[in-house]
Amino acid sequence: MSERGRRWLGIAAAVAVIALLPVIAQGSAYWHGIMIICALNVLLAISLNLVIGYTGQLNLGQSAFYGIGAYVTTVLVQTLKWNFWLAMAAGALAAGLVGIVLAVFAFRLRGHYLAIASLAFAVITYQILINWVSVTKGPLGIYGIAPPPPIALGPVTIAFTSPANLFYLVAGIGLVVYVALGNLISSPIGETLRAIREDEVSAAALGVNGKLWKVFAFALGSAISGLAGAFYPGFVGTLVPDAFFIIESFTLLAMVIVGGMGTMIGPVIGAVLLTVLPELLRGIGDLRLLVYGLALTLVVLFMPGGIVQAARAIWARVRPARAAPGTAS
Amino acid sequence: MPDLLSVLVQQSLNGIVLGCLYVLVALGLTLIYGVMNQINFAHADFVTLGAFAAYFFTQWLGGGYVLSIGVAFMAGAVLGVLVNAAIFAPLRERGDELRPLVATIGVSVLLENGALAAFGPIPYEFHTPYANETIRFGKIYFTEQHLLIVVVAAAAIGALYAFMRFTFVGKALRAVAQDRETAGLMGINQNQLIMLTIVIASAFAGMAGAMLGPVLVLTPFAGATVIVKSFAIVIIGGFGNMEGTILAGLLVGLIEAYTTQFLGPGVIDLVVFALLLVMLAFRPTGLIAEKREENV
Repeated sequence: MSERGRRWLGIAAAVAVIALLPVIAQGSAYWHGIMIICALNVLLAISLNLVIGYTGQLNLGQSAFYGIGAYVTTVLVQTLKWNFWLAMAAGALAAGLVGIVLAVFAFRLRGHYLAIASLAFAVITYQILINWVSVTKGPLGIYGIAPPPPIALGPVTIAFTSPANLFYLVAGIGLVVYVALGNLISSPIGETLRAIREDEVSAAALGVNGKLWKVFAFALGSAISGLAGAFYPGFVGTLVPDAFFIIESFTLLAMVIVGGMGTMIGPVIGAVLLTVLPELLRGIGDLRLLVYGLALTLVVLFMPGGIVQAARAIWARVRPARAAPGTAS
Repeated sequence: MPDLLSVLVQQSLNGIVLGCLYVLVALGLTLIYGVMNQINFAHADFVTLGAFAAYFFTQWLGGGYVLSIGVAFMAGAVLGVLVNAAIFAPLRERGDELRPLVATIGVSVLLENGALAAFGPIPYEFHTPYANETIRFGKIYFTEQHLLIVVVAAAAIGALYAFMRFTFVGKALRAVAQDRETAGLMGINQNQLIMLTIVIASAFAGMAGAMLGPVLVLTPFAGATVIVKSFAIVIIGGFGNMEGTILAGLLVGLIEAYTTQFLGPGVIDLVVFALLLVMLAFRPTGLIAEKREENV
């Protein structure tokens, strides 16, 4: 099958899975909730992967952009009575603009320095959310947040008070973003980003403007996280700063690494696995996070390329007759 | 205004006491970074474990508080040996900077939730007999506990400093930090030295935990409140730079004390991390600049 055909088949399969999941969940509010969180985490993980996996910038502050998107959207809707969709765009834009500020730090800082700078960035954002009580209501949080308003498509009105519809909305956005990012990564822009990841100096020697493309990657990655943030408060109904503490950044990083950094499908697998696994382990109570930590450590120790690379290695061994297996992009 | 003066002196004393504890934690991070080029997120849990080891030694076994600091030191060292064997040694072969970092996050989640399962979420009240004995000078007062912290920390920091400067092993450690390959060619056994680095770092963190235990809310997550600040200290001082870390640790302790007094305790992190970002923007090599060539 051609590359193009396989891609369309993949999209069709993803659409089918997204369409069927709420049917399988049979109206269980609990599983609908988990599915929505999964879709949000997929968005966050693929946006972080753009910055860490493809551009090679060690960013430990992704939770900040998620939070900025959530708070900007909610405050605009609740306090200034903006239209939700406009506020959503503003939230994503605000996160993207703040991402550019972090990118400026990435001009000079590399590796661990950037990691700590981005961590500091997330701590400061969290502290502002806690301390700027007049706007964010501080640690007590904002309550009674409505889901996105219904969309009227001719005679049909889609209401997002239904968890299944909200899931379709977020997962649909996730799929569109995934396909768009996939196209971007396989375009010359993706090659440029990978060149910066592999060797910034050589890339510059070939005429690549490293600063410009870092700004691009940070802005886009942050804006997508901000977009995810716009949908979070309407789903939960409340908004507290603790949802965007730095632990959230670590969790997102874990999703990217466990799934397979620098691959498109890896972070999706990681996000779904690390969202669903703790829920399945709920039966063992407090021990579930213990298992989570153990799983993360073991994956890094024994599957350095994440699940995707491990699966490819197994596939190559099972089907040795197959000509040159696809290389990681 | 004599009152303002006494407030300033009082907060300076408080800041130095706190700063001493931060230095003990941050020195370990900076040592590990200097020698191995690794960030250790599990360092926080060495602090927590040290605090619990000291707590159980004094409360259950009836041991003395001063001795419990030594117990916490040993507990940290043992944990350091284990984490080195399980994580750092196997991952070092691959020469990657991101995966060991993520592995230490995994270890941290593992240790914190292991401690949660063992000790529960309710904070422990860690009393030290020395906190009740107050020493006064006019309007300024401090406790014997404060005095003990400063003496123990100064002795430990001084010993480590002398060890790094004047002993053969210390010089070998600094050689590995400067240039691992050349040090290896000179016949220095890196694996043992790296092991030693982690053991020293975690023992110091454990010791700090024993003295932070009575100050912090002692839960399985107690170390996490200190560790993010310690990362800030390590950067402000310059990654891998001992003198800079000592200076930055005391500075952050003082900033925290003054901020608590004049702006309120809620904004401490905001002030410290804003300082960190300013440092990173204008002077990323740290307070005391060190000439270091970078391989491009």
